[in-house]
Amino acid sequence: MTGPNTNRTLPVEATVAEDDIERDARALETVWGERPGFWSWLTTVDHKTLGKRLIVTAFLMFIAGGIEAALMRAQLSRPENSLIGPDRYNQLFTTHGTTMMFLFAVPIMTAMGLYFVPLMIGARSLAFPRLNAFGYWNFVVAVVFLYVSLFVNTGPDVGWFAYVPLSGPQYSPGHRVDVWAQVVTFTEISALCGAVNVIVTAFKMRAPGMTVNRIPIFVWAQLVVAFMIVFAMPAVATGSTLMLATDRAVSMHWFNPSEGGDALLWQHVFWFFGHPEVYIIFLPALGMITPIIETFCRRKVFGYTPIVMANITTAFFAFGLWVHHMFATPIPELGQSLFTAASILIAIPTGIQIFCWLATMWISRPQLTVPILFVLGFLFTFVNGGITGVMLASVAFDKQAHDTFFVVAHLHYVLLGGGVMPLFGAFYFWFPKMTGRKLSETLGKWHFWLFVIGVNVTFFPMHILGLEGMPRRVYTYLADTGWGPLNLVASIGAATIAISVLLFVINVIVTMRRPVNAGANPWNSSGLEWSVASPPPSYNFLYAPLVESRHPLWDISVDLPVLTGFRTDRREVLVTTTFSAQPDSRHEGPTPSIWPLYLALCMGVVFIGSIFSPWFVLGGVGLSVIGLAGWGWTGSKPSGHERVSTPAAMPERA
Amino acid sequence: MKSLRVAGTVGDLPTVTFGSRSLMWWGTLGFMVIEGWTTAIILAAYLYIRQNYETWPPLRTPYPSLLIPTINLALLLLSIIPAVFVARAAKRLDERRLKRWLVVLSVACLIPLVIRWWELWALNTRWDTTAYGSAAWTIVGFHTSLLLLDVIDTLGLTLFYFIKPMPVKSFSDASDNSFYWYFTVGGWVVIYLIVYVGPRIL
Repeated sequence: MTGPNTNRTLPVEATVAEDDIERDARALETVWGERPGFWSWLTTVDHKTLGKRLIVTAFLMFIAGGIEAALMRAQLSRPENSLIGPDRYNQLFTTHGTTMMFLFAVPIMTAMGLYFVPLMIGARSLAFPRLNAFGYWNFVVAVVFLYVSLFVNTGPDVGWFAYVPLSGPQYSPGHRVDVWAQVVTFTEISALCGAVNVIVTAFKMRAPGMTVNRIPIFVWAQLVVAFMIVFAMPAVATGSTLMLATDRAVSMHWFNPSEGGDALLWQHVFWFFGHPEVYIIFLPALGMITPIIETFCRRKVFGYTPIVMANITTAFFAFGLWVHHMFATPIPELGQSLFTAASILIAIPTGIQIFCWLATMWISRPQLTVPILFVLGFLFTFVNGGITGVMLASVAFDKQAHDTFFVVAHLHYVLLGGGVMPLFGAFYFWFPKMTGRKLSETLGKWHFWLFVIGVNVTFFPMHILGLEGMPRRVYTYLADTGWGPLNLVASIGAATIAISVLLFVINVIVTMRRPVNAGANPWNSSGLEWSVASPPPSYNFLYAPLVESRHPLWDISVDLPVLTGFRTDRREVLVTTTFSAQPDSRHEGPTPSIWPLYLALCMGVVFIGSIFSPWFVLGGVGLSVIGLAGWGWTGSKPSGHERVSTPAAMPERA
Repeated sequence: MKSLRVAGTVGDLPTVTFGSRSLMWWGTLGFMVIEGWTTAIILAAYLYIRQNYETWPPLRTPYPSLLIPTINLALLLLSIIPAVFVARAAKRLDERRLKRWLVVLSVACLIPLVIRWWELWALNTRWDTTAYGSAAWTIVGFHTSLLLLDVIDTLGLTLFYFIKPMPVKSFSDASDNSFYWYFTVGGWVVIYLIVYVGPRIL
């Protein structure tokens, strides 16, 4: 259908008339907007809707994982407690770790990227909206599968890294480990779909003028992490789906030493993923810090290039550290030395970023809002976790502290300090953009102080407990050990964290009941995402913004330059060249579709069914063919308005 | 809100592009990297397992047969020819030739998929006898899943071209399909050398 308003070209250097703006906005809303109703809910491909949904789902997982943690802390609060038995405790700590790593931390960091990357680079959508929906639904399958299994007493019980031979068929009969292996599979599919989407979007859909050295640091972080996901996730997918699950389901011998298999191979493939995983959580959090500091210090960040280079360097080093999780295994000494050196080395790029932020804040007068308070909380808490990380990089110390509460303390300082604190800061910072409403600062400050105090009260004593020899993953301990008082302190800290998170939830609920009044740019921030309404319209940007600096909203004083000429009768997005972001082509984005959900359910049949019979795999693949056909069919309707550029007709631009 | 100044227009830009100018090409490349890397990890694990054995293949396990895998390798390499012609016809927007070469490519990629069944048994071991057998079956099995996906994609695209009017952008998709097929065949050359020929050398 060709409407009267399509493909209009306005005179260059003119200001877009308000009538034109209103007319184009109405037309685009018709094309991009979501229809009301349940069907639309199931079929949506809007990156903002799916991003918010993923954030909410992953946050619910944070609460679920938190409840599991609270139950464990209740059990450990005094010696020889009988609240939870050993079998249930094993399921709790495994589900807690699996939930927090696979169903909360990675998805929520990715979700922030899936929501904000298009908005920050001036794009109307992600490169592959249906792939994004497919990734989300796979994630939902993982969530439902893990928690249904837990409630029917089939929750995994071998730790979040499921070491063989404990997780192999001989020592873990039944289906508990199978649940773990397939939950991991779904989350890998989901993460990989998101990573490809972010990479192609950031490479090919940046607003005209957003050259490589003008990409926002948050987008850089998401881009680097997307590459890390591409190279890290296949390792655990191989380990869990192609090795562990097949050892268990069809009697393969990957990890069976009596038939030439190797238990250490599991540790290699797991930690080749598992260590980068930490940075997959941590780097997006660092990316959130820069815009928060810039906004509340009213200064452009010091050291843009070193920060970007530090991100990339961290990603490279992250792949060279995995063996430091295996110092207690018979690894050759040369290997141990190499991985010790690499583990210490990675502190340098992280240090560079921290010094750049300190330099930015140094001569400014930071406005102490909740987002920047969480950044300050991050600096304090994460540096502590980082220092114990350098301690653990030493083989001699690691062998003493291995599998003790010292490691539990270290990893929680790093993940809560380095991941969750910046994430909460980011919630407060970008909440107005996502919902049009500002969260309460008063409740936010209570949330912040209780959270920072709670984290330190919970996890600092664990360093001492670990040094005193308390092993992790024990459901109780004897009174004679003397570990009771410090465990009680840790449990009180956990309760404090729970209260702080409850305050955050109350803050969100109360705020959402208020009217939309935040305005487009409530913090007077500099990124492109703040140039559109809050919450953003379905099409994000009415026209393509022309970017002339790293801080478009701070550097342009009069009016925002834009490129017009898009069709308004279909979902058209602008494709630009990879490095210099010159306009190159217009691409028609897909409409809503049920097939991503259908195909995710087919994946459910394949992978969950494979636990019970290989025939489910065949059945699931057969059903998938229908889904692929449907996806392809609805995605290949002729529009009759195509303008072709063959390679001969229009050579590639630089 | 700041007013909007028109700095240019995008109305003249093309809506169908090929190769690295197309989003789908980049997406295909992304999944090729993921699948190629997964293959590399499994091959690394195969070689890691090798260290646990004095002989490779293990004692009382025959070498993989070479006849069927070599024939299939030749067929896969030959299938590159129709894939190249599909890509060429697509880039020239020559629908008649594209349809013809898509049919040839469909046959050329379906045959190796069928032969793959005998190729698995040409490993001359089962997946559940030794870790060597598990590793070999996993590698070939994983590649078979890539082969299957590409065959479904090729057959589906061919079928669509014959039963419905296709948009011009599907020419670009056909070109990307060939791009993925080169990767599938190229990956198999490495696997063939390591899994079928390798035991005679390693």
